[in-house]
Amino acid sequence: MAETDLQISEKKETQATGESTRDVPVFIPPVDIYESENSLTLVADMPGVPMENVDIDLDSDQLTIRGTVSQYEQKGEALFKEYTYGDYYRQFTLSSDIDREKIQASMKDGVLKLVLAKAEAAKPRKITVKSS
Amino acid sequence: MAIFRYPNWRWPDIPGAMEDFERARRQMDRLLSVFSAGTSTPASSGVFPPLIVTEDGDAIYVEGEIPGIKADDLDISVVGRTLTLSGERKPEEAQNATYHRRERKWGSFRKALTLPEDINPEAIQAECKNGVLKLVLPKAEHVKPRKIAIKGE
Repeated sequence: MAETDLQISEKKETQATGESTRDVPVFIPPVDIYESENSLTLVADMPGVPMENVDIDLDSDQLTIRGTVSQYEQKGEALFKEYTYGDYYRQFTLSSDIDREKIQASMKDGVLKLVLAKAEAAKPRKITVKSS
Repeated sequence: MAIFRYPNWRWPDIPGAMEDFERARRQMDRLLSVFSAGTSTPASSGVFPPLIVTEDGDAIYVEGEIPGIKADDLDISVVGRTLTLSGERKPEEAQNATYHRRERKWGSFRKALTLPEDINPEAIQAECKNGVLKLVLPKAEHVKPRKIAIKGE
């Protein structure tokens, strides 16, 4: 029975965080990227990050995803610790056939979903996150 | 189904004391895993979801990362001292899509945890928010530390 159960993927830590002034480790969130006819969808696991703490930045062709978690307060003494609490950060290079104006971001249950429509390249801009 | 028992040692009480050591140990484990080729035990080997279990005098606290799982998809049950978490993580529906990258795992899971003390099942609180599960399992009355007053002269 144990072989068919979903296993834990250990969180990958990153050193390159840019401007992290917080005292928590920073992890690389696992992502799924799939392409359909009209768009490219990027799905990232960032548990513990509320919607307002997601920062998505698009600068020419660099897409940066940053998620910060609220401060962790440990209650009592630890008995068992299978993961570490921390922020998330990942950078992607977008190809030129993504329409920068039409990126939609939504966040639910700690999963960020970015839908990137395919079109001509456009100016860099900030993307606001709305709930799905 | 995976059942866990606690190691005999305990984490130090000072919060953050082990963080630097833990990070160094994780990095060393990764570097050295090249040589041991699968025989080393990772820091968190086991069934989804990863959990942090803490306790104080009043209750046992369980926190777990369950991204993409809503409260309805998760089944929590307590029988005696065994806490069982089970559910299924469903993949995103993608019609006619080709995957460029696939790092997120999906599937069904079932994890059983043996708690170190008796708890009061009537008073369990569970919260599922932003992909993080938080459980408060209050300890049974007979287990809580009892202060005994000493009468002076």
